[in-house]
Amino acid sequence: MRRAVFYVLVSFLLIIFDTLLTKFLTVGNVVPDIIVVWIVYVAIREGQIAGLAVGFASGLVIDLVSGQDGMLGLAALTKTLAGFVAGYFYNENRRFQILGGYGFIIAIGVASLMHNVVYFLIFLQGTEIGWLSAISFYGIPSTLYTAALGLLPMFVFAHKYGS
Amino acid sequence: MRGLINIISFFKEYFLLTLCILISLVLLALNDNEQIRSIRSLTVASVGFLQDTFGFIPDYFDLRQENHVLRELNVTLSDEVSRLREAKLENMRLRQLVDLRRRSQFEYVSANVVGKNLQLLRNTITIDVGKNDGVKVNMPIVTGAGLVGKVVATSSAYAIGQILLNKDFRASAKVQRGRVDGILVWEGGSYLSLRNVAKTLDVQVGDEVITSEYSSLFPPGIKIGVVSETHHDPGALVQTVHITPSVDFASFEEVFVVTHTPDTSRIALEQQIPQ
Repeated sequence: MRRAVFYVLVSFLLIIFDTLLTKFLTVGNVVPDIIVVWIVYVAIREGQIAGLAVGFASGLVIDLVSGQDGMLGLAALTKTLAGFVAGYFYNENRRFQILGGYGFIIAIGVASLMHNVVYFLIFLQGTEIGWLSAISFYGIPSTLYTAALGLLPMFVFAHKYGS
Repeated sequence: MRGLINIISFFKEYFLLTLCILISLVLLALNDNEQIRSIRSLTVASVGFLQDTFGFIPDYFDLRQENHVLRELNVTLSDEVSRLREAKLENMRLRQLVDLRRRSQFEYVSANVVGKNLQLLRNTITIDVGKNDGVKVNMPIVTGAGLVGKVVATSSAYAIGQILLNKDFRASAKVQRGRVDGILVWEGGSYLSLRNVAKTLDVQVGDEVITSEYSSLFPPGIKIGVVSETHHDPGALVQTVHITPSVDFASFEEVFVVTHTPDTSRIALEQQIPQ
């Protein structure tokens, strides 16, 4: 219970950080997705159900604060999928080794790519913007940036858990 | 019953995933619901307040670029002001001559950009004016450089604006020199596109593009940008026209909301035609 409250609180703080301060991390038009890093962490630490629950709840809040008309539910959907996919990297006996190793980065990359693929598939419906070009110019760079951002917590976990 | 519980327990991850996906899809389908609009209005207010509060954190890269842009703009505007003064005097004389009633000017509400959401093409801005300042959905947002976008959501003190570089943005636009009309869209790059422009029409690189009088949302004559490229695809009836926006979306901090409301009788009449 205590841990659940902790996860809710951190999710909330990260969404505030994401809304207010992500502009400082923007390179060109590419923005890292801090929330995906967090979702992957929760999924590896606690398992698939926790990952997708945190993904769904965070996505819903992001949808509400984003103000994009007609898109409420999209971030909830994509972040749920990210959490679910990241859950496949969960291994109860090796979770700290995974968090402190490159498995964490691979999990972030896979979850973020899944997130972006589904996101653009729905977000670009009815527009002239090509899905492939959106994925190439925004989705993949964003995935790489998000994965690179995951290196920071990975090194912290590696140091902390001695992996 | 126990068997069912066992099945659910065994496949609990998949059940939960299905449930979350279903809720998300239902929410996507119910976006115009009044309750959802109220919740969104509440979150717009909360986020706007937070962004406003944390706005004191300076972005030095933005400030440096903004300073540079402002210096350039200052020189251009000084020149333009002197020319406009002349034009205004001439205009007044001409109006008196033909006894035209002076057209009412639009009113502007100045606003600060307190947040930008550029994540994964969402491309919206949050501004610190809202319903209390007379701002309504669909009102145009401009800067001194030109059209920024339109208001898409409001709370009492904040509003969210959809910028030109947004996949859902559409506007009727006109090439000022050739009087060529088209539909302004954004197709994902750093430029805008003018669609439905026949190959035979005269559009040249460097032509200014403004809002058209055909637009039901925007008042005519607001600068949008400059034609940067035209391309004639063999076999196509229309030409590709790319426009460089006159507003620098990376660095703008202050905007104006034009308190222009569309002519509802005109929109109603136009909507009757397909029926």
